[in-house]
Amino acid sequence: MASRLITRSTAAVLLSHLRSRTPNPTHHLLTHGAAMSSLLGPTHGLPATARSRPLLEPTRWFSSPAPVVEAPRTVDGLTVDSIADKGWTILAEAESDWRSHAAAVAQSIRLIKKRLKWKWLLERSKQLAVVLEKPDLWEDPVFAGNVSREQGELMGKIKSVNQFEQQLMEHIDMLRLAREEGDNELETESMRALADMRRDAKEKELNALLSGDNDVYPCFIEVQAGAGGVESMDWAAMVMNMYRSWAQRRGYRVTIIEEIPGELAGIKRATIKVDGEYAFGYAKSEIGVHRLVRISPFDSGKRRHTSFAAVAVIPILGEASSRYQINESDLRIERFRSGGPGGQHANTTESAVRIVHIPTGTTATCQNERSQHMNRASAMAVLQSRLDQLEITRQAQMNAEHTQSLSEISWGNQIRSYVLQPYRMVKDLRTNYEVSDPDSVLEGDLDDFILSFLSLSLDKVDESV
Amino acid sequence: MLSLSARPILSAFLPKPKPRRLLLLLRPRRSSASASALTPPTPRTTTPDPPEDADPTPLFLRPPTHPVPEASLAAFRRRAAALVPPSAPHLHRHLRWLLADASAPAPSGADPAAPHLLRAPLDELEALWLRHVRDRRPFQYVVGNEHWKDLVVAVRDGVLIPRPETETVVDMVAAVEGFQDGWWADLGTGSGAIAVAVARMLGPGGRVFATDVSEVAVEVARLNVQRYGVQDKVEIRRGSWFEPLEDVKGKLMGVISNPPYIPTDDLPGLQPEVGWHEPKLALDGGKDGLDHLLHLCEGLSSALMPGGFFVFETNGNKQSEFLVDFISTKWSSSFCDVEAVLDFADIKRFVRGYRR
Ligand SMILES: C[S@@+](CC[C@H](N)C(=O)[O-])C[C@H]1O[C@@H](n2cnc3c(N)ncnc32)[C@H](O)[C@@H]1O
Repeated sequence: MASRLITRSTAAVLLSHLRSRTPNPTHHLLTHGAAMSSLLGPTHGLPATARSRPLLEPTRWFSSPAPVVEAPRTVDGLTVDSIADKGWTILAEAESDWRSHAAAVAQSIRLIKKRLKWKWLLERSKQLAVVLEKPDLWEDPVFAGNVSREQGELMGKIKSVNQFEQQLMEHIDMLRLAREEGDNELETESMRALADMRRDAKEKELNALLSGDNDVYPCFIEVQAGAGGVESMDWAAMVMNMYRSWAQRRGYRVTIIEEIPGELAGIKRATIKVDGEYAFGYAKSEIGVHRLVRISPFDSGKRRHTSFAAVAVIPILGEASSRYQINESDLRIERFRSGGPGGQHANTTESAVRIVHIPTGTTATCQNERSQHMNRASAMAVLQSRLDQLEITRQAQMNAEHTQSLSEISWGNQIRSYVLQPYRMVKDLRTNYEVSDPDSVLEGDLDDFILSFLSLSLDKVDESV
Repeated sequence: MLSLSARPILSAFLPKPKPRRLLLLLRPRRSSASASALTPPTPRTTTPDPPEDADPTPLFLRPPTHPVPEASLAAFRRRAAALVPPSAPHLHRHLRWLLADASAPAPSGADPAAPHLLRAPLDELEALWLRHVRDRRPFQYVVGNEHWKDLVVAVRDGVLIPRPETETVVDMVAAVEGFQDGWWADLGTGSGAIAVAVARMLGPGGRVFATDVSEVAVEVARLNVQRYGVQDKVEIRRGSWFEPLEDVKGKLMGVISNPPYIPTDDLPGLQPEVGWHEPKLALDGGKDGLDHLLHLCEGLSSALMPGGFFVFETNGNKQSEFLVDFISTKWSSSFCDVEAVLDFADIKRFVRGYRR
């Protein structure tokens, strides 16, 4: 009985505090999510201030020992871990179910912690706090600066995660309070805030997963039709469209580099360039063979067909030192030839260019641009990336991250199955993640597949550490 | 000496006040458009080139003043695509490029619902597209340009569309020692493609004299020279081959020419895009196709300075072999290092050499 009273009063204080601070509680609730904005993944975790401090900054950032980090709790003692362990069903985002939202956010936070190596992080910051307390620390200012900066970074991360957890707990408390008080308006607002948090958490989670060396770069995505003629070529075109819309949804710029159309429909093979931050980090999850089962639109007998398409993803490295040095004299450049007498006899807008790197046998083709000049430049960029990739593979054979070129992808390496008939399902064979709406997936709704694959890879890395 | 004529360069491209007959073109003909784009040529009986009612300003250079709602544009795209089979990917590419060239670049952050601004009314685009797929009018005349080397060369009916093979000529010039500061002649400049590309590589002392007998060619070449801002490097002169170059005789570091070289008898069998639509003046090389090439050879030694370079494009193996043999035999004392050079299809496409 007593605890119940405390519960109510704590929440009431919270509530009145909130209402007195801002005349529009919605607004306040909606802005909560920003706390973690500087936290993870893409910026590689360094809080901006820590990065810009000069090395010898004499200010001691932390004069007290590292705070004992208590996991934030709701008034009745729920924590992120306990929520995640409850196994509440996670429903679609549109469903107004606070448990579902809370479970989704809790899972994201857990994953983010895993990516940050949370336990190690806490341990490390405790150690650093001890070092920072040593009276003779600043006698070696370089060392002191380093320690102080590292501690700053760690605390920044810890604080952001804790704030995010804290927010979750507050929203949960608020929502339950609103229910008890029958305050519909507040309930709706809290629910919306939870849903917002969920989206935010998912994005951060995704970003947290992108920590590979090349993840930040743009990439080429290549799709090749498997055996089976028009069926597979049509499938390959569907797969390529899926990536184009996925990339456009994510705000990436897509350029077609090469497209070899099938005789009747679809494509034999195509390459697109996906421009934008972390394109490779996301798209690398798609490497492998994609399988389609459907009643063929090309079969008058209406039989069921299985088709395959292989997908390769290659990062486009920046001006990094690891770039492969191409020797001009190692190149054979083949241009489109009409086959006829050429010259003044012929009119053509065909300007495909194929470049062969003789020592490695690597080739690249571009036919999408309007001049041979441009096609040559595009093909060179593709070739450079292919050779970079070879180089990366050579340098780090052990690296689990090594991506495969189309020629290396064996048709046995199936990663995902798309079934349109007799039932409807898309299932990832690596993660067992599945959805029952193939259309939305084929329209580019791939993030959940990518996310689950990236989390799984993270688990694996964790295990091997 | 290098001053350009004061004639307004664009004047030749201004539309003539003639009634438009576009709707006539839109009326379907008996044979389907897609079939005629893909079936062997049949002699053409209608539509003279250039059509009197066409706006001679290259489409891609016209102002984008025609607002068109997204839906109408999408409908046009569908109609136009339906005219060509999937087995003709180049025509689908052309459609994409046509729309790209006909549209004003959307300003970033523009309202996606705002109407598109086109450089021609939609019915005119439709007529242009029909003439391309049905009458085999070259795509480059439709949009008014050819992407050639790193240039977008303006072209229009009456001037030869520069060929990809010819790009190599410019690379050969760049390989000549000290080319940057020499005086060059591009004889039969057509659109001016070679002249502009060479001019862009030249140093402060370098010049290109570009000649052509065709009035249209001279106008289009002027436009291209102006578009690339090389007016102070390229002087265009109207006249036959060496005739307009009396004053620079013996001072040229190089002579470049891609003269008409197709044997007259071969003209009727040409690909429709070429035979029906490109100017005979730019293609017809006389009985063996060698009339102009031989004339150019004759004038070479007095035009070039000692050590000067020349390169001609030819009809291929037979002509090149003949010319190499002819020059080295007839003028062995005047020229050296005369040789045939392959194009990217391994055809002996060029003859080059040096004056002693
Ligand atoms: C094959 S086109 C070459 C055009 C351009 N140089 C190119 O490579 O795209 C030949 C050009 O020679 C021009 N021509 C024909 N007879 C000529 C003559 N007697 N004197 C000068 N130019 C002539 C034609 O007008 C045409 O522009």
